[in-house]
Amino acid sequence: VQGQRSTELSMAMAGKGSATEPLWKKAIVRQEKWDSKEDFLDIIYWMRQLLSVVTGVLWGIFPMQGFIGMGLFLLLNAGSVYLYSVAYQKVDEEEFGGTWEILKEGFMTSYTLFLVNWIMSYTTFHFG
Amino acid sequence: MFEDTILILFISLCTAFASEAILYLLVYRTETYRRLKATVEKQSKKLEKKKELIGDRPTGQKASKKLEKAEEQLKNVSRDLNMVRMKSVVVIGFTFTALLGMFNTIFDGRVVAKLPFTPFGVLQGISHRNLMGTDPTDCSFIFLYILCTMSIRENVQKLLGFGPSRTASKIGGAGFFSPPQTK
Repeated sequence: VQGQRSTELSMAMAGKGSATEPLWKKAIVRQEKWDSKEDFLDIIYWMRQLLSVVTGVLWGIFPMQGFIGMGLFLLLNAGSVYLYSVAYQKVDEEEFGGTWEILKEGFMTSYTLFLVNWIMSYTTFHFG
Repeated sequence: MFEDTILILFISLCTAFASEAILYLLVYRTETYRRLKATVEKQSKKLEKKKELIGDRPTGQKASKKLEKAEEQLKNVSRDLNMVRMKSVVVIGFTFTALLGMFNTIFDGRVVAKLPFTPFGVLQGISHRNLMGTDPTDCSFIFLYILCTMSIRENVQKLLGFGPSRTASKIGGAGFFSPPQTK
């Protein structure tokens, strides 16, 4: 049991991921293996929500308008998720049911969140 | 306009939290719901593992019948789970629709925000609802409220940890009244 505990501890310190590691740490550190697919998809979900808030506020300040603004957001949203999953975390998409399953995780909620932030920020900074 | 947008956001937040609080009191903490949810989680994980083991290999008639039966059982339990939830959801729906009607009256004819894009078709009918003038970038209360609710509701549910796992939603079937996917 002691041997098992010290192995777990050294794994955690090496950033190899463990059940007790917080989600944000798992998001930053490249995981060799995802013990829980739910954790990875949760990271994708929350990462998308954060990106939506930031993008929405920035788009409202610049201001980005029309379908160009929307198109850029969609590109950024999908692109960042894809790059994070495939290039940074190097996950096997087939384990998650294909690239599409990863790309659609949390998409609708992030899109509406982006719209809310975009509208509010645009109204605030340009129409008082 | 800024105050209106903040107020609408605040109203959406309050209604989202209030719905989840009511659902928790009436549904989530009941033994029946917890038992059904645990069964759905367990069965869906078992089913997914079985499917992973089989993979793309051709299965015999016996194995595929077993899989079908397991799927059918899972769908039945998922349906029972949704039925337990549905009654409360309908009551909450009526209550908040009445509240929405009240807010609609308060904000009637008021431009609450400016849209940085021009909505098309049916969406313009909602975004410009009951507003004077023809500027398509004028935003009505109902449009912003709907967007706020859509963006906030699932995040609140995920934060509070309510709702089934992705596996359960995927295999159990996502019907119109099923809870959204959360961990």
